[in-house]
Amino acid sequence: MVHILGINLPDNQVARFALTSIYGVGHHTAHRLCARLQVHDRCKVKDLSPFQVTALASFLSSPATAPPLPRYPLAKPDYVPPPPTTPLSELQAAFQASQKIKKIKNSDPLKNLKIESELRREIRENIAHQRMIGSYVGRRHAMHLPVRGQNTQTNAKTARKLNRLDRH
Amino acid sequence: MRPSQILLKSGRSAWKGPYFIPFKNLRDALVNHESMKTQARGCTILPNFVGVRFSVHNGRDYIPVLVTQDMVGHKLGEFAVTKKRFTFRATKK
Repeated sequence: MVHILGINLPDNQVARFALTSIYGVGHHTAHRLCARLQVHDRCKVKDLSPFQVTALASFLSSPATAPPLPRYPLAKPDYVPPPPTTPLSELQAAFQASQKIKKIKNSDPLKNLKIESELRREIRENIAHQRMIGSYVGRRHAMHLPVRGQNTQTNAKTARKLNRLDRH
Repeated sequence: MRPSQILLKSGRSAWKGPYFIPFKNLRDALVNHESMKTQARGCTILPNFVGVRFSVHNGRDYIPVLVTQDMVGHKLGEFAVTKKRFTFRATKK
């Protein structure tokens, strides 16, 4: 059993699917997370190394402030290496300059990840906003009825269960 | 992924921009506190509509809507309810 942010991931599940038990992580995000930590597709939770578990926990606790992944691009086919006599400091300066350009280009999609209480708060705030301005969506939430024009003569059970102002 | 979709929350194409009606006497309405009578329920509320009183058609009559800062980006029709709440009639004539 692995505990991450107070959620326990069952030992015998594949890591990619076990991660979906976190609120706000679906199949796609779980796959991206696994790719980030270099967890292979069939890896089970019990096979995760302690380093991977701690890395996962530290990433999920604050995705926005997590250090960006280092990216080392491959050489292009027309790349000509500098002559061996060039000093090391010049090479390092050129490498760091190229890294700086890359950082702006590659935005990490997982950076905006919101999970658990943060996501719940966002949903609650969105509903509260709709209610405050008095729009149709907010009214329907307050009445525990479907928001997007579904039938209400029968069914509407999900709306009755979920649509309320203090949702979580 | 798609930055324009954050600005336009609907599925509308980014190049079209938001759908709105150029109200002619918007400034007069703002100054004189007159209500703008409109049937354009699909018109997006723009930042320069803030403070204007609209009378939005709901299919039968005109519902007064005072536009506030938080309503920007929503549609006018969202604030004029079209459905009547069902109630049982107390006595039958």
